[in-house]
Amino acid sequence: MLPGVSEVTDALAVRAKGLRFAYRRNQWVIRDVDLQVPRGQICAVLGPSGAGKSTLLRLLAGLLHPQQGIVEVLGADIHNHLPATIRRRIGYIPQQLGLIRSRTALENVLMGALGRLGGLGPLLGLFPKEEVERARSLLSALGIEDKAHEKAFRLSGGERQRVAIGRALMQEPLVIMADEFVSDLDLPLAAEILGKMRQLVHQKGLSLVVNMHELPLVREYVDIAIVLKQGQIIFSGPAQELTWSLLEEARR
Amino acid sequence: MRRSVLLIKKNEALLWGAVALLLILALREVGLFEVDRLWRGLHNLAIFAKDTVPPDLDVLPLAGRALWETIEMAFAGTLLGFVVSLPMGMMGARNISPWPLVVGVRLLVAIARTIPSLLWAVLFVIMVGLGPLAGTLGLALYTVGYLGKIYAELFEGVDPEVLEALKGVGASRLHLARFAVWPESANAALSQLLFMLEYNVRASSILGFAGAGGIGFYISLYLQVLDYQRLATLLLLILGLTLTLDVASAWLRERYLLQG
Ligand SMILES: Nc1ncnc2c1ncn2[C@@H]1O[C@H](COP(=O)(O)OP(=O)(O)O)[C@@H](O)[C@H]1O
Ligand SMILES: [Mg+2]
Repeated sequence: MLPGVSEVTDALAVRAKGLRFAYRRNQWVIRDVDLQVPRGQICAVLGPSGAGKSTLLRLLAGLLHPQQGIVEVLGADIHNHLPATIRRRIGYIPQQLGLIRSRTALENVLMGALGRLGGLGPLLGLFPKEEVERARSLLSALGIEDKAHEKAFRLSGGERQRVAIGRALMQEPLVIMADEFVSDLDLPLAAEILGKMRQLVHQKGLSLVVNMHELPLVREYVDIAIVLKQGQIIFSGPAQELTWSLLEEARR
Repeated sequence: MRRSVLLIKKNEALLWGAVALLLILALREVGLFEVDRLWRGLHNLAIFAKDTVPPDLDVLPLAGRALWETIEMAFAGTLLGFVVSLPMGMMGARNISPWPLVVGVRLLVAIARTIPSLLWAVLFVIMVGLGPLAGTLGLALYTVGYLGKIYAELFEGVDPEVLEALKGVGASRLHLARFAVWPESANAALSQLLFMLEYNVRASSILGFAGAGGIGFYISLYLQVLDYQRLATLLLLILGLTLTLDVASAWLRERYLLQG
């Protein structure tokens, strides 16, 4: 159990209600989306390209503001006076991971601590020793401790994925939103990483919302799933009930 | 029989025709077609060239000191300008700064850039008196105008996902500038800094015309008293300096800035 979370155990990890969003006036990209992700569960968002998956994730992470509807993380409205203590514990992993190319794996993981580190230290490149230790141990938990001092642009796809996960875990996250989480990895590696995440999610009682495409992986590793078609939910329920024909339906 | 086909579109041909016409008119206006005047010019050049040989090397110690001052002004001005340009660039970048700040900063930077460093130096001579301080400040101000703009645009080119990832973590604007924007654009920024330094070394050699320090003072002096042999020594020194700097900065760029 994460410290400081127990008092809100019965709240949903993520709750979205009546979400509507448009980048340009009246061109709705997200229409009336409702979503409930319990703590300790993985939720997959599926749908064809352009369906609004990335947009939904940015809304859930508080990076975009909806024109209508609300998003709550552990009961707190994410777009309205969200306490910094919760803000810094919402992890977001963009599609291309958003690593700083010219920095090492260790430094990239340390970025996850920025939200809780004030003062001049980090700006001068000084991080508290215990944070550095924590980043190191995350890297070794993710199996890439030997790459700690390798620059991000020299890492392989799978290694970069792990560094991004490490950065999110460094936040001591309550929830992680990950865009196209394993789409760029080959299947065995994707399965391995999802398995690892599933373990973490269950151990630490955090929650994961991921955009992904691969039905077999969804069935095996994911708890609940939603399918988007042109910004609207056409399926929402246990991942086991998801079928090819539903995904076909979304594509039409 | 082969027939040639006109591949240029009609309005394209018209455009090029107009450009050529304008060019000819402009050249005529400045007197490039007055053959006898040009001929006289060549003749004068020959006389001047003859008067410069042999260059008078007695002036070397004096010229060396003045050249050193020129270099100092260029380095100090460039560095000072660079240090100010970094925050200006950050504040002028739309992806990390609020728009009122962006507009204000960009306006300031544009003003600094509109006025060449020689004129800034004149202004500073009035403010702080003759000497290298005025020149240094003039160079610094123009540098802010130039680098401030280039840097703002460079910083705006940073991968938005890197920024998003750090914003998601709860990082502050300063964190974004320090950890996402700067490392992602440092190489390009330093490369621009080297160009700026080269430019400022050339620019600082004429600041002395306005009494703002450096070798330019002696250039204008020997020009006025028609002492072309000493003038030649000065010009050779400047030529040597610029060539050295060209080679050095090309080497630096190649060695340190083009990788990764
Ligand atoms: N920054 C943006 N500005 C304007 N339109 C956008 C932007 N990002 C995405 N869109 C549009 O919103 C729709 C949904 O995009 P996105 O959320 O990226 O879908 P997905 O991730 O499912 O492929 C698409 O039509 C896309 O063109
Ligand atoms: Mg997407």
